[in-house]
Amino acid sequence: MELFVQLLFTGVGIGAVYALVALGFVLIFRATSVVNFAQGEFSMVAAYLMVVFAVDLGLPYWVAFLISIAGMALLGAVFNLLVYYPLRNRGYLPVLISTIGASIFLSNSVLALYGPQPQVLPGWFDTPGFQVGPIYLDSQYLVILAVTLALVLFQYWLFEHTLLGKKLQATSQDKEMASLLGIPVALMIMFTFIYSAVLGGIAGILVAPVLFVSIQMGSNIALKAFAATIIGGFGDVAGAILGGFAIGIIETFGAAYISVPFKDAFAFIVLIVFLALKPQGIFGERVSEKA
Amino acid sequence: MNMRGSLAGQIGYALVALVAVALAATVKTDGYVANILMQAATYAIAVFGLSIVLGLCGQINLAQAAFFAVGAYAVALGTVDYRLPFWLCLIFGMGVAFAAGALLGLSTLRLGGHYLAMVTISFQQILTVVLINAIRFTHGPDGVSSIGRPPGFESSQSFLALAVAAMAISGYLVWRLAHSRLGRAMRAVRDNELAASAAGVDVFRVKWVAFALCALLGGLGGGLFAGGFSYISPDQFAFSDSIVLMTMALLGGVASPVGSALGTGLLILIPEWLRFLKSVPGLYLAIYGAAVVLIVIFMPDGVWGFIGRRFARRPRARSSTAEPLVLGPADSGSDVALEVRGLAKYFGGLKAVDGVDFRVRRGEVHALIGPNGSGKTTTLNVVTGLYRATRGGISVDGVDITGLPAHKRTIAGLARTFQNIRLFRSMSALENVVIGAEREGNALVAGGPDAVLRRARSALAFVGLEERLHETIPSFSYGHQRLIEIARALAANPTVLLLDEPAAGLNTSEKKALHVLLDRIAAQGLTILIIDHDMTLIAGVAKHLTVLNFGRRIADGSTAEVLREPDVVAAYLGAS
Amino acid sequence: MGLLEVRDLRVHYGEIEALRGVSFSIEEGAVMALLGSNGAGKSTTLRAISGLAPPSSGSILLDGQPIAGLSPRAIVRLGIAHVPEGRRVFPGLSARENIMLGASNRSAPSAAIRREADAMFELFPDIRGFADALGWTLSGGQQQMVALARGLMAKPRLLLLDEPSLGLAPVIVQAVFRIIADIHRRSATVLLVEQNAHMALKVASWGFVLESGRLALGGDPATLWSNESIRDAYLGGAQPTATA
Repeated sequence: MELFVQLLFTGVGIGAVYALVALGFVLIFRATSVVNFAQGEFSMVAAYLMVVFAVDLGLPYWVAFLISIAGMALLGAVFNLLVYYPLRNRGYLPVLISTIGASIFLSNSVLALYGPQPQVLPGWFDTPGFQVGPIYLDSQYLVILAVTLALVLFQYWLFEHTLLGKKLQATSQDKEMASLLGIPVALMIMFTFIYSAVLGGIAGILVAPVLFVSIQMGSNIALKAFAATIIGGFGDVAGAILGGFAIGIIETFGAAYISVPFKDAFAFIVLIVFLALKPQGIFGERVSEKA
Repeated sequence: MNMRGSLAGQIGYALVALVAVALAATVKTDGYVANILMQAATYAIAVFGLSIVLGLCGQINLAQAAFFAVGAYAVALGTVDYRLPFWLCLIFGMGVAFAAGALLGLSTLRLGGHYLAMVTISFQQILTVVLINAIRFTHGPDGVSSIGRPPGFESSQSFLALAVAAMAISGYLVWRLAHSRLGRAMRAVRDNELAASAAGVDVFRVKWVAFALCALLGGLGGGLFAGGFSYISPDQFAFSDSIVLMTMALLGGVASPVGSALGTGLLILIPEWLRFLKSVPGLYLAIYGAAVVLIVIFMPDGVWGFIGRRFARRPRARSSTAEPLVLGPADSGSDVALEVRGLAKYFGGLKAVDGVDFRVRRGEVHALIGPNGSGKTTTLNVVTGLYRATRGGISVDGVDITGLPAHKRTIAGLARTFQNIRLFRSMSALENVVIGAEREGNALVAGGPDAVLRRARSALAFVGLEERLHETIPSFSYGHQRLIEIARALAANPTVLLLDEPAAGLNTSEKKALHVLLDRIAAQGLTILIIDHDMTLIAGVAKHLTVLNFGRRIADGSTAEVLREPDVVAAYLGAS
Repeated sequence: MGLLEVRDLRVHYGEIEALRGVSFSIEEGAVMALLGSNGAGKSTTLRAISGLAPPSSGSILLDGQPIAGLSPRAIVRLGIAHVPEGRRVFPGLSARENIMLGASNRSAPSAAIRREADAMFELFPDIRGFADALGWTLSGGQQQMVALARGLMAKPRLLLLDEPSLGLAPVIVQAVFRIIADIHRRSATVLLVEQNAHMALKVASWGFVLESGRLALGGDPATLWSNESIRDAYLGGAQPTATA
């Protein structure tokens, strides 16, 4: 029983990271109909920025965090301008390939600048964890859960209770109609890229102390986050978040009860099963449209 | 686009290939250069595979390195662990790759776009995990060494020649594929899936075959790679390698084997000349990634496509006149060519078509009209198979087609045009019409490829465009594109010709010409069902009208009578 | 000088000439009906005015100022609101949220916008109970009312309505046109594109008929309606020539 709760805690913790990255995916997809294969690299770059500012330069953790997030916002804006914007009218294949190219560029640029050695990023708190009865609660996982909760609540508030959130949703649902009403569509898309980059960045900074900070961490997380969005129903915000938690739990339990080395494969097996049986995911098409 | 590939071209290719193989077999190079050439040859074969699935068929495959791995490991494990002959292992590996590719291709039945990309990535990732972790079977991260070679090709020199020969042969096959019936079907699917289906192409089958062929070539390249380098390990077949292969395809020009070979060569040789790039880990691949983005933005057709467009020569049309077009629609003796019974189509709560009946008599020109939103286009789409009927039945010449997919309805005798013109834009007028002509079951082209070509020329001559048969679609005016679409439909020798707003977007003189053309088609006795808003045209060509409003039939009879009925006038003008 | 002047407007979709030199003017406070059968160019005219389809030549003047070629965002800020064909209510947002977004052409605190949206429900009592229903759950008629309210939220000087009756049952159409008449009484200027000539001419103060991208007829509603030519414009002038 204790093992079950322990695994659940870990699964939900890592699932929270997937949920954040998945949220970034879905937001970009809803606004632009583009799948951003470089989403994971946003997490990786942010983690490296933290290493540079918090470890190499020795800045206080909070300061390094804010600078890194600012850097991610800038990266999101540049990404929009260079990778998405020139291709925005060209159909899904060129954009998809372009984001793949961008992902390769980002991960290898970091490799070229920083070197192949995995780095270590300390957690938010000095105490590594708390023992609560038979369960060990890793403090970084607690931070992950707390921050994810805050971000999900923020996301909910933004979309449901602000006019900006409504304008973002309108842009996703019908760009032309949004522009007819006077909504600045290009600005909404820019905001979406910046916000998704920041979300990805926060996810990366949160999970970095738990894994190593490495070049591959981005694509690893992203592919699983992508699986999460499909399980949850592609294009659905709540689905992405719940899908992320689901993947985290499946993976953790799979590693413990079935096989550790094949842990990374579970997400993909689940993904293929979903694509084969229920491609519209758990939440499916919430909005009916005439063919 | 030359339909058969000129004899001169093929001989030229064979000569170049022979020279290349001869050079590979005889010219002594140091080990380093030999390795580069070996890698280039085997990668090129894998990239040829991508040129089939991505270039010809337009489907994304991010798992080519996985198929490469399947071939490589089949050869490696087979010759090392099981001591089986090289050729047996290679063929086995290719077979497994083919099956895996077909399996992956099956997912295209319901998935496209990024879902498909995701499935291929998943496959790639799962395979990588298996290669690394199923140690007892795959040797894990240690890899497999001392991989065997076939007898007679043990030396590096001779094996390189073998690889070059394999590359030449597979390149030739891919080149011929592009101009074969299957290749044309693939290109049609890439250009306009809906139109391909309406022209009789089994889109799903074409897609999974494309995947299977791509994987087959990936397996061949991988098997030769294993033999060539004698040592393989899982990190040579990762997701990033799939990206490298794809970049090679994109750079060279994804639609042709020459482009693929060019891209492969460039992306292997250039970094070698810029060897210093490899000294900083990551720099080489970072530039790769940036190159992908830049190529997609600025050179979407790749280097070869760019060159091709610069130096393209339009083959001149041969001056011989085409035979007159024969229309021999199937005739079981029934008076009714097309019957629609109680047809309904609901989209959720929206009842677009709500119980429609009509019969189109053989040899008649029958029009389906009604105000905007009345359900005419939806009815046509249900009849041709774009949508599944919610209720009701459809028969062509007495045969029930209600449950058939779109391409089978074409085989059953329907041919249609589209309101917003769906032609295969990368192909010539002739190729577009050929695709119509070579639909399965066309009795008038039983003579083979020559008969197909003759029929296509006849159809184009019928609409007056025979002079320009080799020009690609973008060079035709909108009105002429409309005519090519009609020619494509006629070439299929339909029982019923369905025209969806053929006058849309035409100017007055083009509409007059269309009227004349429709009269000529009707004079040959072909049954026509036409939807349009241009009442002058409709009154001129159609003998019989069915009028829809709010998804229901409100009038059906001869043109003169129907247009005078007060209900019809009210439907259009809104008077109560 | 009318509120809106259109002079020799030509619009191309690629090669196709959809509008071939259309000229008309709309007086302030009028309801002008633009009629014609499908494909005549009615929607294209509205799209050219609202900025979705830039004209290839010709001019469009709002209060004497040229607006042809401006972005849709700029044009709605100048006071022209376009309620497009098919209603295009945002399916994932509620009726109230849709209506609130109609004020996106000006900056105002969201509390004020919310109050204005609530005031709209007084004008459209039929949807008052559906304020929180998501767009995709609304019926065609309800969506049309939401789209109209959303258009009015922009406080437009000129309201462009594209085929409000499309796809609606006759009873609902009458309800929609009652509202359009009401909007007119509140002295908004309306350019109404309709296939349903009968309903449109009941609320209009003037009408034009488009045929194949050109203006074929024009006049006051009573004259237009009794004129045989309007029937020809819709149902084709030539006698049927196909022989039995």
